[in-house]
Amino acid sequence: MNRPAERDLIAMAGIAASGLALASLLSSSSARVRPPRWRLAAPGRNRSSNPETVKAARRLNRAAGTLAASVLADSSVEHYRGSFKNKAMYTPLLVSALTLATSLHGTADMRPLAHKARDATYLLAAATGLVGSGFHLYNVGKRVGGFSWQNVFYGAPIGAPMAILLSGLLGFCSERVREAHRTRPRIFRLPAGRAIAAVTGAGLLGTTGEAGLLHFRGAYHNPFMLLPVTLPPIGAALLMSAAGGGPGRTHRFTRWWMRLLTGMGFAGVGFHAYGVSRNMGGWRNWSQNILNGPPLPAPPSFAGLALAGLAALGLMKAHPDA
Amino acid sequence: MHERRDRYPGYDVLAKWSGPSWNDKTRDVITRRLSIAPEPRFFTRDEYETVVAIADRIVPQPAVRPPVPIAALVDRKLAEQIMDGFRRPGVPRDGEAWRRGLKALNAESAAAYDKRFAELPEALQDKLLRAAQSGELKAAEWGGLRCEVFFKHRLGRDIVLAYYAHPTAWSEIGWGGPASPRGYVRLDLDERDPWEAAEAKDGNDATARRSNRGVR
Amino acid sequence: MMQLHAGATAVSDDPLHAPRACDGRAPDVFRPGGWVPMRQYRESEPVDFAIVGTGAGGGTLACKLAEYGFSVVAFDAGPYFRPLEDFASDESEQTKLYWTDDRIVDGDNPLQLGSNNSGKAVGGSTVHFAMVSLRFRPEWFKSRSMLGYGADWPLDWHEMWSYYAEIEQALKIAGPVTYPWGPPRPRYPYRAHPLNGAARALAKGCEALGIKWTETPLATLSAPRGLARPCVYRGFCVTGCSTNAKQSALVTWIPRAIAAGAEIRDLAMVGRVEVESSGLVSGVHYHRDGRWRFQRARNVVVAGYAIETPRLLLNSATARFPNGLANSSGLVGKNLMTQSNQAVWGRLEQEVRSYKGPPSLAITEHWNYEDRGKDFFGGYSYMSQGPLPQLWANTLFNARGLWGNSLVEAMKDYNHVVGLKIVGEMLPQESNRVTLSEEVDQYGLRIPRITYSWCDNDKRLIDHSLKFMRRALEAVNATDIWIQDDDTCHLNGTARMGSDARSSVVDADCRSWDIPNLWICDGSVFPTVGGANPSLTIQAIACRTADRIRALARRGELEAGSARPSIHRCSIEVQRL
Repeated sequence: MNRPAERDLIAMAGIAASGLALASLLSSSSARVRPPRWRLAAPGRNRSSNPETVKAARRLNRAAGTLAASVLADSSVEHYRGSFKNKAMYTPLLVSALTLATSLHGTADMRPLAHKARDATYLLAAATGLVGSGFHLYNVGKRVGGFSWQNVFYGAPIGAPMAILLSGLLGFCSERVREAHRTRPRIFRLPAGRAIAAVTGAGLLGTTGEAGLLHFRGAYHNPFMLLPVTLPPIGAALLMSAAGGGPGRTHRFTRWWMRLLTGMGFAGVGFHAYGVSRNMGGWRNWSQNILNGPPLPAPPSFAGLALAGLAALGLMKAHPDA
Repeated sequence: MHERRDRYPGYDVLAKWSGPSWNDKTRDVITRRLSIAPEPRFFTRDEYETVVAIADRIVPQPAVRPPVPIAALVDRKLAEQIMDGFRRPGVPRDGEAWRRGLKALNAESAAAYDKRFAELPEALQDKLLRAAQSGELKAAEWGGLRCEVFFKHRLGRDIVLAYYAHPTAWSEIGWGGPASPRGYVRLDLDERDPWEAAEAKDGNDATARRSNRGVR
Repeated sequence: MMQLHAGATAVSDDPLHAPRACDGRAPDVFRPGGWVPMRQYRESEPVDFAIVGTGAGGGTLACKLAEYGFSVVAFDAGPYFRPLEDFASDESEQTKLYWTDDRIVDGDNPLQLGSNNSGKAVGGSTVHFAMVSLRFRPEWFKSRSMLGYGADWPLDWHEMWSYYAEIEQALKIAGPVTYPWGPPRPRYPYRAHPLNGAARALAKGCEALGIKWTETPLATLSAPRGLARPCVYRGFCVTGCSTNAKQSALVTWIPRAIAAGAEIRDLAMVGRVEVESSGLVSGVHYHRDGRWRFQRARNVVVAGYAIETPRLLLNSATARFPNGLANSSGLVGKNLMTQSNQAVWGRLEQEVRSYKGPPSLAITEHWNYEDRGKDFFGGYSYMSQGPLPQLWANTLFNARGLWGNSLVEAMKDYNHVVGLKIVGEMLPQESNRVTLSEEVDQYGLRIPRITYSWCDNDKRLIDHSLKFMRRALEAVNATDIWIQDDDTCHLNGTARMGSDARSSVVDADCRSWDIPNLWICDGSVFPTVGGANPSLTIQAIACRTADRIRALARRGELEAGSARPSIHRCSIEVQRL
């Protein structure tokens, strides 16, 4: 796997796969009215029994998938930049691809039953996130200067593996919500909607930290760079308040804010594409600027989290005690 | 002579000619440099012959590839009056210093071996150049120009700069070469971009060669 | 593979042979082939300021004075480049940036000029400087009274600290989040660049020896800025930046100056400052377009750097000032100070490939701020290095004496070379000086003769630094370590500022003691040099000088006719053609 040509191919495949998957995730969600034939059919007796939990679960799958797609593309680019020096650097590509496939499967699955393979994959993703964070911490710490700004800016990004961890957690939550067709949806004995809202809020804060760090590296030279460090923390606060607040609230503003964050996440790709074009040689010099310019696949992780927030809010609406 | 092995097998910096590492201005400049014919414009025929012989000793080149026309590159620089812009008292301006130094070297050669410098065997040429380097040559032809000053600040400097201004030399040492608009991404120790030369490690040419073939 | 298409780009104008800044427009440095409108002044009507030189001193001052509403014409002997289209990625070609007019060097340690210390282009040496943007250690402004050597500056470091901050903002210096030495300073506007292999080696060495290091504050962008692109780490910095990431005077102060109504005259060599019978200067004689011309001016600022500045003052001698202008102290041309630039080189087993990125990405100023353990006055910093092939080959030949097969083989280790190089303080000595030779140059002007010898203190400093850097390289397991002991860089002194007309050439405002409408604003005014690259300090002094000139003008203390800035700014339409 050391030959440059193969590394190029792997990185390109990773980016392409994540793009395609993201597109199909989003298109499958927009085709809500008439489910396409290839969707896994749900047994009739359950279809009507608890559609809200399945709906919420599928939305969580979609959120997890969006995050996984972002991780797949981002780790492809960044680990290609790192020349896949360590074989372990292929892991997030494999795991996020698997998580993505699982999430596609989950998004299409109408059955109110947890799926063992999905569960296992999501747990694997979460574990990968944890181990990856450890790797990245180790990588930064061992560089000359240790945990200095230089190494935090340009070493392995400490926060990045958290995205696959979050993807795994949301997926895991999705399975718990999906199987809760008779009881109240709970996760580790906590009300599921609130738990997911809290996890998502924390994820938003973490991702804000990552964006804040990298935008600080870019000296906030463009005022729009302030958006991902101001809008998401407000979203996080709204989600936290939803998680901690009493039942029966509609959270209209919070849901509106989540949609705003989703839009911001996808618009971020456009902003980053503009950023790439502002580097020397612009897109003609893509082989350098994709790597040195702002990371194109990073912003959609905000969208993934915001989608999870919407799912949590939807669940709380359907199950006031969830 | 010991055997030369390519440290960067198969690497040719000119493979990047049409890629994003080269811009129009650089292509113009290098096109002009590569089109320099190995014949004198500034030097006389005799002087030129001596410069060729000296350049062969200062920067010996392998026989397996077309040589860099070092003497012609030096000649064009002098013809275009591209100068360092600083000189010691008694040292004439660059072109005149060359003429006087060459004349003096040939005089030394004639006095010691009764031959022109270019006709000497390599060992004797080296011996004379070493004597110039250490300031031992005192023939009247040097005038106010000290031989070690000429050797260090004119002769050697111009020849070395000429050779390492040529893409052939860049490929030989595994330098990335011209770089604009594209520069580099991987900067740290033991890091290399796909458009940089790969070094043959532990006698294993094949991996490096394959990588170098992909340089664009 | 390779297409030969000579002359594919039809270059309409050759900046080396015909002036570009004329007909009401100047080159737009941000767009290939582009132009910006430029105000022009008549030669017969005196402008408020004629500035000789457009580098760190003259370029900065031209900008600030124009923005304050003065009428300004700035002259440069060199061409007006558009870096995006005029700069090749090539060491030989880019020697066109250097001042290579004829000069004589002598003394015990004759200087090497050209590439590493003088530029001939609009923007001056900042077009090819290494972008290292350091503040002086505060004590250096009072080195005589506080540290016991050299001469005191008539400036207060607190005041300089605020001008440094202004320059750092204006150039969007990319520096570390916190700077490890000296009094607190504001955060650098842009973040530091990533370290390359050479910088990493410096850092490791410092950590092993227990001293601090940091990312070098550099005047090259780490993020976009307007039309200027961030650094792509191409490594050709000292041969001219073709991406405009480098914040040279050419792409920062000069465009601002033009937008504010200043005129730049390129390929305009000033040969003499004219003095009237009143004893005031009245303008400059300059050579452009094949003939000598005269621009009238109420004030003349000489900003030609430490060789051309005294040369012009000496070449302007009249019957009234037979020893040259502003030279009643006899100090014009004296106290020339270069900075020691010795290096220790070695080989690492790892690939360093130091040709990538700005050459000096990491620095330690430890021996600028630590006075214990020194047997010399002054200080030095040392930085990581990134020589390109021609420079490196000549270093091996010139300083190590290699040629023949040993040179060719040593060059094959190019990608493994690691080096540390100092910028060291040299003490001012009157015997180190610029005088006039009897020979003349292409303009018929007497050429300068530069005499330089190191003193014992200089040698002790160099010795200390070489021993220390050798340890630093040994600490990173470098092999084949050797010493380059004869290099120097930067030029200062020769028209020092002071608080006494008998012992200095200009006052704290850069105004000459002898002729009140003659000013000097460049590295020449430094009484001492410190162990830091001078460009930031030159620019800070220029900003201060502009503020002082504005204050003096408001108080009516400028020379007759220039008491008030002429109002012309509204007449300028600043829009792209």
